[in-house]
Amino acid sequence: MAEHAPSLLLFARQQSRTEADAQDLVQDAIVECWQRQRDGEPPPRPLVFATIRRRAIDLARTLDRRAQRELVAGEEVLECWFDPGVEDRERARIVQSAMNQLPEIYREVITLKLWGDLTFGEIAETLAIPANTAASRYRYGLAELRELTREVAA
Amino acid sequence: MNHFDHRLVEGDLARLRPARPPEQLLERLEAARCQVAKRQPAAPERAAWRLDWLPLFRWLAPATAVVIAAVALAIWRPAPLQSAPAIRADDVEIDRQLLNSYDAVATLPGGEPVRFRCREWMDAVTFRDTAGGVVIQQREPRFEVVAVRFETY
Repeated sequence: MAEHAPSLLLFARQQSRTEADAQDLVQDAIVECWQRQRDGEPPPRPLVFATIRRRAIDLARTLDRRAQRELVAGEEVLECWFDPGVEDRERARIVQSAMNQLPEIYREVITLKLWGDLTFGEIAETLAIPANTAASRYRYGLAELRELTREVAA
Repeated sequence: MNHFDHRLVEGDLARLRPARPPEQLLERLEAARCQVAKRQPAAPERAAWRLDWLPLFRWLAPATAVVIAAVALAIWRPAPLQSAPAIRADDVEIDRQLLNSYDAVATLPGGEPVRFRCREWMDAVTFRDTAGGVVIQQREPRFEVVAVRFETY
């Protein structure tokens, strides 16, 4: 649980508007997946990621858009997504800022691949897209992220 | 962006690790997991046992059927027919008795005359098994016709 929780929370943070929502998403998704498991084994990670994503979409639909905007505006302090050493703290801030500007279709693939340690096949399963699409989104996303990090750092 | 650049960017990003979740979230997750585990029926353990043994039984069933069939065949194989003790003839007599002999003359389609020498025989064969006290006698008539040219005759 503790081993996978950081990547699950990172993904949830990118899918939700607030830290509280992100943590609730992780908890609800894990509980749902545990309940589905009949053999008592830990649920497969692609299933948990997919559940987080589905629940985040459901949550966004239920919340009023205006309330969402007010909520985001009021939440000035963003949780740090990464766990950097002292020398990487600035780098982590730049990457997080660039990731925030990255289109969602690229951001979720990069997050699942780099920090979720999923294969393209598992990413395809999680996002319900073809594996080739996942791979191409990853390549385009990396290119765009590189440009964004340069802009943010400048 | 070429392949080399991809690897550089990947390596750079992979050095960053996701932040550890707050302790209170980990505690919530652990508590939730325990609750789910309590609510899970005891069936999974039995199911796991069944799943582990299922492949073995899958092979065992046809193997058992084959063994049973083999044993049944071995037990129920029809016993070989009790054949009569072999007769070993230690004495064989062949007696050919001429019963009749006569000549007949006929004409071939071309008008050439031909003569037939006809003989009636009675062949008598006797087998004796002295040890078994068995005597088998077989008699069979035989009719012999030989065409003879007039010049030869």
